[in-house]
Amino acid sequence: MTTEQKIDPVLVSVLQRRFKSITEEMGLTLLRTTRSPILNEARDFVTGLYDAKGRMLEQTEYIPVLAFALQPVCEHIIDYFGDDIADGDVIIHNDVFSHGNQNADVAIFKPIFWEDELIAWSACKGHQADIGGAVAGGYNPEAREVWQEALRIPAVKIYEKGKRRRDVWDLIFANVRYDVVQEDIKAQIGGCVVGERGVKALFERYGTDILLRHVGHLFTSTERIIRKEIEAIPDGIYKGQSTAYYDGVRDGSEMLINLAVTIRGDEVTFDFTGSSPQTPGFVNAPFAATASAVMLTFLMLINPDIPHNDGLHRPLKIINPVGSFLNAAYPAATTFGNSITGPTSDAIFRAFADALPGMVSAGWNRSLNFVIVGKDPRHEMRHYVDILFLALKGGSGATQNADGFDHIGLINCAGGLQDQDYEMFEIQDPHLLLKHEFLGGSAGIGKWRGGYGTECEFIIQGEDITGIAFGDGLEDGAHAFGLFGGKNGSGNELAIEYPDGTICQPQTKEVVRDIPTGSIYRQRAGGGGGFGNPFERAPELVAKDVRAELISPKQARINYGVAIDPVTFAVDIDATTKLRDLSP
Amino acid sequence: MKYKIGIDVGGTFTDFLLLDGGGETAVYKVLSTPQDPSIAVLEGLGRMASDRALDLESFLANVEIIVHGTTVTTNAVLTGNIARTGLLTTAGFRDALEMRRGIREETYDNKAIAAEPLVPRWLRRPVKERVTADGNILVALDANDIDDALAQFRAEGVEAIAICFMHSYANQINEEQAAAYVAKAMPSAYLSPSHDILSQVRFYDRISTTVLNAAVGPILGRYLTSLIKRLANAQYQNMLLVMQSNGGVTAPETAMRLAATTLLSGPAAAPVAGLAYTALRGDKSFITVDMGGTSLDAALVRDGAPNMTTEARIDKHALALPTLEINTIGAGGGSIGWIDEGGLLRMGPMSAGARPGPVCYGLGGEKPTCSDANLVLGYLNEGFFAGGEIKLDKKSAARAIEDHIAKPLGLSVTEAAVGMYRIMNVNMASSIREITVQQGFDPRDIPLVCAGGAGPVHAAMIAEELDMTRILVPRESSIFCAAGMLWSDFKHDYVRSYHTQLTPQTLDPVRFHAAIEDMCAQANTTLQSEGIPAAQRNFKYTLDLRYFGQYHEVAVEIGENLLTGPDFAAISTALHKAHNRLYGYDLESDGTIVELVNLRLTATGTTNKPPTIMEKMAGPDAGAALKGKRSIFLISENCFADVNVYDGDQLRHGNIISGPAVIEQVNTTIIVPTDYSLFCDGYGSFEMTAVQA
Repeated sequence: MTTEQKIDPVLVSVLQRRFKSITEEMGLTLLRTTRSPILNEARDFVTGLYDAKGRMLEQTEYIPVLAFALQPVCEHIIDYFGDDIADGDVIIHNDVFSHGNQNADVAIFKPIFWEDELIAWSACKGHQADIGGAVAGGYNPEAREVWQEALRIPAVKIYEKGKRRRDVWDLIFANVRYDVVQEDIKAQIGGCVVGERGVKALFERYGTDILLRHVGHLFTSTERIIRKEIEAIPDGIYKGQSTAYYDGVRDGSEMLINLAVTIRGDEVTFDFTGSSPQTPGFVNAPFAATASAVMLTFLMLINPDIPHNDGLHRPLKIINPVGSFLNAAYPAATTFGNSITGPTSDAIFRAFADALPGMVSAGWNRSLNFVIVGKDPRHEMRHYVDILFLALKGGSGATQNADGFDHIGLINCAGGLQDQDYEMFEIQDPHLLLKHEFLGGSAGIGKWRGGYGTECEFIIQGEDITGIAFGDGLEDGAHAFGLFGGKNGSGNELAIEYPDGTICQPQTKEVVRDIPTGSIYRQRAGGGGGFGNPFERAPELVAKDVRAELISPKQARINYGVAIDPVTFAVDIDATTKLRDLSP
Repeated sequence: MKYKIGIDVGGTFTDFLLLDGGGETAVYKVLSTPQDPSIAVLEGLGRMASDRALDLESFLANVEIIVHGTTVTTNAVLTGNIARTGLLTTAGFRDALEMRRGIREETYDNKAIAAEPLVPRWLRRPVKERVTADGNILVALDANDIDDALAQFRAEGVEAIAICFMHSYANQINEEQAAAYVAKAMPSAYLSPSHDILSQVRFYDRISTTVLNAAVGPILGRYLTSLIKRLANAQYQNMLLVMQSNGGVTAPETAMRLAATTLLSGPAAAPVAGLAYTALRGDKSFITVDMGGTSLDAALVRDGAPNMTTEARIDKHALALPTLEINTIGAGGGSIGWIDEGGLLRMGPMSAGARPGPVCYGLGGEKPTCSDANLVLGYLNEGFFAGGEIKLDKKSAARAIEDHIAKPLGLSVTEAAVGMYRIMNVNMASSIREITVQQGFDPRDIPLVCAGGAGPVHAAMIAEELDMTRILVPRESSIFCAAGMLWSDFKHDYVRSYHTQLTPQTLDPVRFHAAIEDMCAQANTTLQSEGIPAAQRNFKYTLDLRYFGQYHEVAVEIGENLLTGPDFAAISTALHKAHNRLYGYDLESDGTIVELVNLRLTATGTTNKPPTIMEKMAGPDAGAALKGKRSIFLISENCFADVNVYDGDQLRHGNIISGPAVIEQVNTTIIVPTDYSLFCDGYGSFEMTAVQA
């Protein structure tokens, strides 16, 4: 090592801060310029910078399920193109069988050159409103193989040396339903240009040698943090299981997630061997989706204030055999993969319950999504698509010393999913909202209760309406689980009342066609699981929920052993002591 | 009539700037009195009087205007000591306020607790009524629901009532009726109807803003009433004005009705102060940074207008009123240095604050701070801090840096202190980058106006991080905001939502112009009541526009002449230009339809500005102000060296000082690095410039 030179520890800190701020600047560009609400309202995208070898320099995932969505693809692209990468190229990719995480999540990569040398990559990936396939919006419970879900885009150049390849561009977008996708891809390219500009400024300032040397040190520093976190967990093999329900094909089907976590010193292995084989439908995950689920859940169990770069992944190992529904083999349908994050995180929380009781969370509500595709009679029957974020956000699980978070939504997003503003919702869609409120009684009871879910009702005033259900959380076993004596949260419910009085109750994976105009949509998103013995919950916290009309005085008495005066909402201490003494 | 007084009530100190008719200034600082901030105000006024050998009454008889900035509303929200508030809202939507659209800011932290709603669920009462998005009344108001709610509000001692109904921006009849009903049935309540506060689409933004207004209305009312009474007792009968978050001032009566306009007014006078200083030099665009003990406030002023936002947050609650865009980060003299688990040096956001404060204060602080590093590097003077009132302990500072930073990193104490200084500079530069580069604005050609006690030590290095070459340190650097208030104009913002495609086929000119005229009428009434004659009123129009299908709007200023038609083509062109500047592209050639979302009016009433008097040119020689020499660390040479120290108060117009040097004032120290030179202008302010290599 003759070239080894002194590292300036301060410059390492400076670079980390700079990389972070560049990825955030890229994110801001996407937030402000994309058109599809799933990007600019739900923030379903990730921005990142990678070095010439594809190692992550920094990444900002606006929703956590994209934590592992870009890096494997970057490595693939470098491998695939080899020397055939030039300044001004732009590469597009979505293919789940070349390391993508979900068909609808489309990535843009832009190589960054400095002094005629490839030095880094600027990339972002966002969930597109449509990417071809049999049904609009990408979620197709009837799909049996990937081509029924989406147009497969392996790594393809859409710009070559700064010039747009019109033929390739047109080929791709000839297979996509909505023009908005073209605009959003342009916005993603804009985000990458912003990233490129920032990285070049750094190289100009510090020079290639100094910069690369210090980046290596940054990786090591991050690796040291994560290893210390792992070291703090007692060594051992920890097992956890959970079940996902209904594959959209076989009635009553159940898929098992079988997890063994091994902590040895400062390394951790997540082994999913023994999980159910892949399903005939789309309830399958690509490897990258399962890896993201592992990353995001693990970050919840440790100090999450760690730079997101290559060093973060080094001590983590994932064993996930091909052919399981958590790592489906070609050419399986997989669009449901991100939605398996809920069951996967359940298995991880259960596995760590004994090792990290102070950090582990009770179950989160598993989301039940319903996409509405139709025509808007107010605007010359233009097409509209809406993934009803407003309706699907349930509660999170409680942890030691903290109640769950109300109306937070699926764990994939961990609170990053913003629901639609009511007034904007009615302006954008031909829907009339009747109700959107917390769902009383939905929180799993416990010393710390789960988060409350929500109920949502609206009248569908669009025409030619098709609905696509994809989700989970109906079956008893799919309710958010309680921990250490805490009880389960409530389940999800979905019903559509047609104008003639017929009630349609879709399965969790189902395409519902010809929903009549004027139907009333009703969804209840369940609560999170409770933590600890509910009879140990502070009585004044129980009284607060009674007063807020989130639970009844009777529920307070039965579930928590707390007697509350229904008029003054004061806790009757003597009666409460008696009730609690009587409990087994 | 000769004095004008600016008063900035802060958390620790209440700052005063006194101007006399001749342009002379005097600075006062008094400890704040949080239980009733008007006590400190009166104390400061008393000191001014006694310094002039006058009793308070005689002194105040010579004061023509008092401009006053207060953080009572801010503190009320941050500490939860708000007025007991009730909310009436459309049945079916009583939880929107608490849900905050379902966002948890702390992504991976499962122990994060949701923000406490400003109104608990039992005081959020549903009312049967409904207006649709196009303004049709679907369900008429049911007053029975209001009766039920008011009965409960009375029983619970509610003193402020917010009313926010769905789509009331499109048709406010139901909301107006409800407000009239409540005003009659519960006349003592402070009333905050959303169409009065913010007649704008986006339900959560509107309900949150309306409730914030109600929650602080009675608090501000009580405070201003008490202040007015104290001043009246001292026979003060002239003008009292209140600073707002939009950078303008208003009469106390207007402020009490729209109390939420003061919520983020604390740092809002800084950009105005910056404007006053830079105007003397002809700079219209600049950045202000105000660095105190715990935080740094940074703001961008572009072409004479401070950047505004309608997406402000206070304690996680949305405040959608137009507010000066001020980026506040946890970086100040008290920011603590620490080593993270990966062995990297970090600074802040934790702060030692004023107590225990930095180690060098000797008040019990043990963790090394930014000020400790600055002292070790010689940037602060052990014997002349706060004009010599506080003695600084350099040895303890050095020991703390050695124990907590230098040893773990394997560095010398000096290297560690330099690292702390550099990380601070990078953090501060990042906060400026967020409000400039990240919004498509290149800061390189504009000056950095640097204020606050701790700012000028870092000014040159922050500028260098951003490739900026000019730094201005105003004379009243340490009481910058109090100074800014004296230059503020009256300013009122109005908004009306009208969602339509911007085409002659879709836009109804009658509705469009009615909205504008309605806003103008309101503005004229308010400015009239504030005594602003028509000739001193200035109306600025802004349209919130977007491309068809986009979710976020771009606020585009439109000349009055383009509104009359309106001139569709010119308005669209203005959007293309703004979009391109902000996001690097536009859709002009694509022929995409432009949508209108909101119309806005900013009405200003010009105030008479204090005179500024230019000192006579004294020439470049600064020798008379030379105090001595001291050793400071020179970043570019990477070593300590003895440099000249000057008394800033003795520098005269035209004096030029070549770096490296130190300029000391009572509350501020300016570090002039090597390769910089400093020029004292005719107003006692300093301009520092990078010398071209």
